[in-house]
Amino acid sequence: MATPIATAYRPAFWRTFWTNAILAPRTSLGFMRLDFVLGTVFIIPLTQMVFFAFVVQLGNGGSALIEFTAVGNAVATVTYSSVFSVCQTTDTEKQQGTMEHLLVSPANRFALYLGRGLIPILISFATVCVGLAYAAFLFHVPIPLSTIPGLAISVVLTALAMVGFGLLLGGVALYLRTSIILGNIFLFIGLLLSGVNFPVSNLPLPLQYIGDALPLTWGLAAIRGAIAGDSLGTLGYLWGAVALSGIVSVGLAMGLWGFFERRALATGSIARF
Amino acid sequence: MTLATSEASRTRATGASLRLAILLFVADPQWLVPSTVAPIVFGLVSFELFRGEGPYFLTYAILGAGMMSMWGQTLYGSGWATGQDRNLGTLEPTIQAPTPYLYVVLGRIIWNVVAGLFGGLVVYLVVVLAAGGPPQLPNPLLFVVLFVFVMVTLASVGVVFAAAFVYSRYAGFIQNVGEFAFYIGTGCMFPVVLLPFWTNPIALLFPPTWALDALRYVSIPGYAGFGWGWGWDLAGAVAVTGVYAAIAGTVFTRVERHVLETGDLSDY
Repeated sequence: MATPIATAYRPAFWRTFWTNAILAPRTSLGFMRLDFVLGTVFIIPLTQMVFFAFVVQLGNGGSALIEFTAVGNAVATVTYSSVFSVCQTTDTEKQQGTMEHLLVSPANRFALYLGRGLIPILISFATVCVGLAYAAFLFHVPIPLSTIPGLAISVVLTALAMVGFGLLLGGVALYLRTSIILGNIFLFIGLLLSGVNFPVSNLPLPLQYIGDALPLTWGLAAIRGAIAGDSLGTLGYLWGAVALSGIVSVGLAMGLWGFFERRALATGSIARF
Repeated sequence: MTLATSEASRTRATGASLRLAILLFVADPQWLVPSTVAPIVFGLVSFELFRGEGPYFLTYAILGAGMMSMWGQTLYGSGWATGQDRNLGTLEPTIQAPTPYLYVVLGRIIWNVVAGLFGGLVVYLVVVLAAGGPPQLPNPLLFVVLFVFVMVTLASVGVVFAAAFVYSRYAGFIQNVGEFAFYIGTGCMFPVVLLPFWTNPIALLFPPTWALDALRYVSIPGYAGFGWGWGWDLAGAVAVTGVYAAIAGTVFTRVERHVLETGDLSDY
């Protein structure tokens, strides 16, 4: 009797998701040691906010601008965990020699990448929350209790969208020798183009358009809008924009990974990029 | 055939280390990007925040951004190289070689100083381009001399970080997470005297604090920094830099002795 051919094994979606969510911080995500995580959540937001507060003070910017930069930098520090950490997954896979195994595995790619983003999403959420607490208690930014629900939605959406953007950069980095360059560029470019330290309208028009393409710009606008007590209509529009930027980022990330995977299978040389 | 003297061996080790650092940089110059992107962004943001406050605020933005660039190249480059030695397994053979490890680090530091100056120049050009013109400098020659001196003081911090990287793998944590704290503590973008008074003695533990204060005194008319003036700033910078060099030398010697006694570097 002939032996039946085994059907192709495909791990379940959620199994892939949770396995990656739990293992990625220990294997492929960058800067996920406990001390680095605590530093990212508690120290970096504080020092970055204090730094720009003194820069504003030197420039005679006044308390209104100090509050503006405090909120901006509280949110901008999310980039460390969401973008810089996530986009390094590609580098780590290549350096550890696991990229080839990953590419030939039958795991669902969406579950795989989404799972890797889970811990960074939680850390990003914590980072923004701690940063906003610093803004309220140390820089006296008024955050009325009535604005908390809207603020919470804005923060969660921003964390999700930023991790999606990190995955997108990780996809681009698949083609590069290293993701360090991309990570560094997008770690700091938001400070200039996303309205972190001054309104986006101060920028030349072409730079405003580039800023509009970054999820941080919309996330920050939604968080500022929530703190200011904007109407649900205005916030709804901003939330839609944040969500859209996140969905587009994840979609593009999946597309890029698919493209480079096909190319790798055709040439057998992705690890040499 | 005669054996090389120890001095020749040390010079050769430093030269070889310098050559290797240059070759690695040329083969993969990506490190210039991290050490220039952030400073350029900080320089442009500060320039925007200082807009309309007077011509000398451009100097603040350029000095601060330039120093950040040099910090990125000098400290990251020096410390990171030791971390790489540890990861690649070359730290032990290098330390057990007859030439003290300090002379290997010295070669890297020399290159990082040069690359840091280059990064500072790139930052200067971008910020000046955005501002539409160079800053007004009352004494350009003295400015350049002191700028290079700031670089040397940063290099001394770099040597200590490299030593710390040999001593503990947690040096990377301090280096990454403490980056903004260092910018604040040394007053790279604003005078340290703006900080609460109790922080000033801590700030003075860092050589760049003294050197930057001196640099601002000679480049910004009416600058109000530490009351003792730029001459004493220079003296302080030289003294603290010397202390840093002594600390680094002691740490390297101690680690080397420990490794030779126990034959094990894994404790660190």
